[in-house]
Amino acid sequence: MQRHTRLLRTTVVGGAALAMTLSLAACGGSGASAGKEQDKIHILVYGDATNKVEKQLVDTFNKTSDVKAVLDTIPGADYQTKLQTVISGKQAPDLFFNWGGGSIKPYVDAGLLMPLDGLIEKDPRLKSDFLPSVFNTAVVDGKPYGIPMRGTQPVLMFHNKKVLKDAGVSVPRTWDELLTTVKTLKSKGVTPIALGGGDKWPTQMWFQYLYDRVAGPELFAKAAGGDKNAWASPDSKKALGMLRELVDAGAFGTNYDSVKFTDGGSPALLATGKAAFELMGSWEYSTLKDAHPDFVKSDLGYGTFPTVTGGKGDPANLAGNTNNYYSVLKSTKHPDAVAAFLKLMYSDGFVKSQLGIGNLPTTTNTALFLADADNPEYSKYQYDLVAKAPAFQLSWDQAYPPAAATTIYTAVQQFFNGQSDADAFIAAMQSLPAA
Amino acid sequence: MTSSSTVGRPGFAWAVPAAVFFGLFALVPLLLVVVLSFTRWNGIGSPRFAGLENWDKLLDDPVMVNSLWLSLLLTVLGVVVQTPISILLGVWAAGHQRNRAVLSAIYFVPLLLSITAVSVLWRAVLDPNFGVPSQATWLFGDGNLLGVRAGAIGVLVFVSTWQFTPLHTLIYQGAARAVPRVLYQAAQIDGAGTVRQFFHITLPQLRNSIVTSMILMVVGGLTTFDTVLILTQGGPGTDTTNSAYYMYQKGFKSFDFGAASAIALLLVLVATLVSLVMVRLTGYDKMRSTMEGV
Repeated sequence: MQRHTRLLRTTVVGGAALAMTLSLAACGGSGASAGKEQDKIHILVYGDATNKVEKQLVDTFNKTSDVKAVLDTIPGADYQTKLQTVISGKQAPDLFFNWGGGSIKPYVDAGLLMPLDGLIEKDPRLKSDFLPSVFNTAVVDGKPYGIPMRGTQPVLMFHNKKVLKDAGVSVPRTWDELLTTVKTLKSKGVTPIALGGGDKWPTQMWFQYLYDRVAGPELFAKAAGGDKNAWASPDSKKALGMLRELVDAGAFGTNYDSVKFTDGGSPALLATGKAAFELMGSWEYSTLKDAHPDFVKSDLGYGTFPTVTGGKGDPANLAGNTNNYYSVLKSTKHPDAVAAFLKLMYSDGFVKSQLGIGNLPTTTNTALFLADADNPEYSKYQYDLVAKAPAFQLSWDQAYPPAAATTIYTAVQQFFNGQSDADAFIAAMQSLPAA
Repeated sequence: MTSSSTVGRPGFAWAVPAAVFFGLFALVPLLLVVVLSFTRWNGIGSPRFAGLENWDKLLDDPVMVNSLWLSLLLTVLGVVVQTPISILLGVWAAGHQRNRAVLSAIYFVPLLLSITAVSVLWRAVLDPNFGVPSQATWLFGDGNLLGVRAGAIGVLVFVSTWQFTPLHTLIYQGAARAVPRVLYQAAQIDGAGTVRQFFHITLPQLRNSIVTSMILMVVGGLTTFDTVLILTQGGPGTDTTNSAYYMYQKGFKSFDFGAASAIALLLVLVATLVSLVMVRLTGYDKMRSTMEGV
């Protein structure tokens, strides 16, 4: 599950300050590994439950290939750091898991990654078999650097059907309806919207969706491309004003910054009926299914982010984690084996096994196998959204290079809780390095 | 130095193994960090020399300045809160009261738990909607403890205190037991009560232990990291971003190892300075002993 991509940042890393000196000391060190490495390709992936499928894939691949694939898994919390330290050394993997966008930009800039247009020319299905909105997320400087793997995770608006019914309100379709609903729910003593502000990235979701609805995907694309004026544009200010209005209306209550998603705080608010809505990635479903199965069975509802009247963005646009990607190291000794392995990413077997564990792959043939999914109805709903989305906004923190994440989180949190105003938010976002 | 003063004292050679390890695992990395602080390096490829760039940026960085103040504040608050509690508990635990051993064992438990587990535990206990604050709204209001500056700092100080008081209690317990009994017997004969005995015998006799314990607290306070990482992640905003956490953020979140190294060095400098001042002010450097004849 890529919900761990989120946990990555928040999970406990004991003694990391000390590890800093140690890992720095280890950098100059040896890379001696036993055995013949010449006839192997190493695949580095984020260590979690999905590894089950990846192990099967590697086994399948090794049955027929002369060059054997080796799967290396790194526990989630350490993945990004480990990748960063090995990628320029002798232990660099031939293929590695990533989030596309800004998360691979530094490696592209350092000339470490292979542009995949050559492989795609030989095997056009490496591009044509994937949903375009997803494939494009791993395009950097006009060239593709990643083949989608695992599943897509759009952010959806979840709700508690019982709470809405008891309060006599329906699911709001527009922003104005949302504001009215918030007032009604508040008068009934319910926190209208659950928010794990302590994690900061859930707060960011409100920004990335509303910006898309108000200004369309172009504003963020420009801003991330280095156009600092985009953040100071009237559309940007309008979106900030609308967020302010929502927060000031008490939509999130007053203690959201003490609540986290990662420790189950905000999902529990939704499941126990203390809150009516939560804006969260599609992994919310499996999170809730683990912790509150009865609620999922009877009262969990889901839908899309409200539309904004007069907004420039298409109401069908999505935001979230488009997918994960395999990127290829330029210096790989076995480009043919790598190409052969990547072909598996659009194979029927791959799609079926991912659906079987609850992931939603983004190949064009996924629709044929949706009946095999863990929850066919929910998977189909998501798949249709992704397939029809004119644009899919990758989470801001991943669209920008890793260096920007901390600044984004701080700016987002401070604006939301009133520690800073629109001007300070704009200034903070303008200080970010271009993606 | 006369020959008599070295009799029975170990020669320098005894220190060689320790010195080698210290050099290898403390001095060499420290030197590397010094070098790194003058470079720009995101972990990919080789560091590039950047002159004073990192230092320049840091000294103008409001978050950095704030983080140093915060480190000092957390340290001072830690010392002020923990010292009286652990002295009282330690002196009490040094006595022979009924059930003393059982009670002591109970409050040593926090010390046995990892600070990570402790932080996760308190995070759950303090959850505004499902934890203690939701049951005691008269005390906690809306329970937004970690969402406001004062609350977040308070929680950090509280959790560190909860975890580390037992350690300092242990130090004081040992020290209080080492106080010669004759002193108390003499005081009793002179008619001094428990309170007077505490202030005029116990406290002065604990002097060196107080310094030892406070130095440990200061070093621990300046490098507070785990609790910040788990409880607040430096938030709200940058309100609890202390220097150690800021270093981690720069290094492992922003992959700016040059800046992270500069922060690390600044922290080393501040910590050294603080401990030097402490050692001077307390006269610890004179190695005076309170025991007779030594």
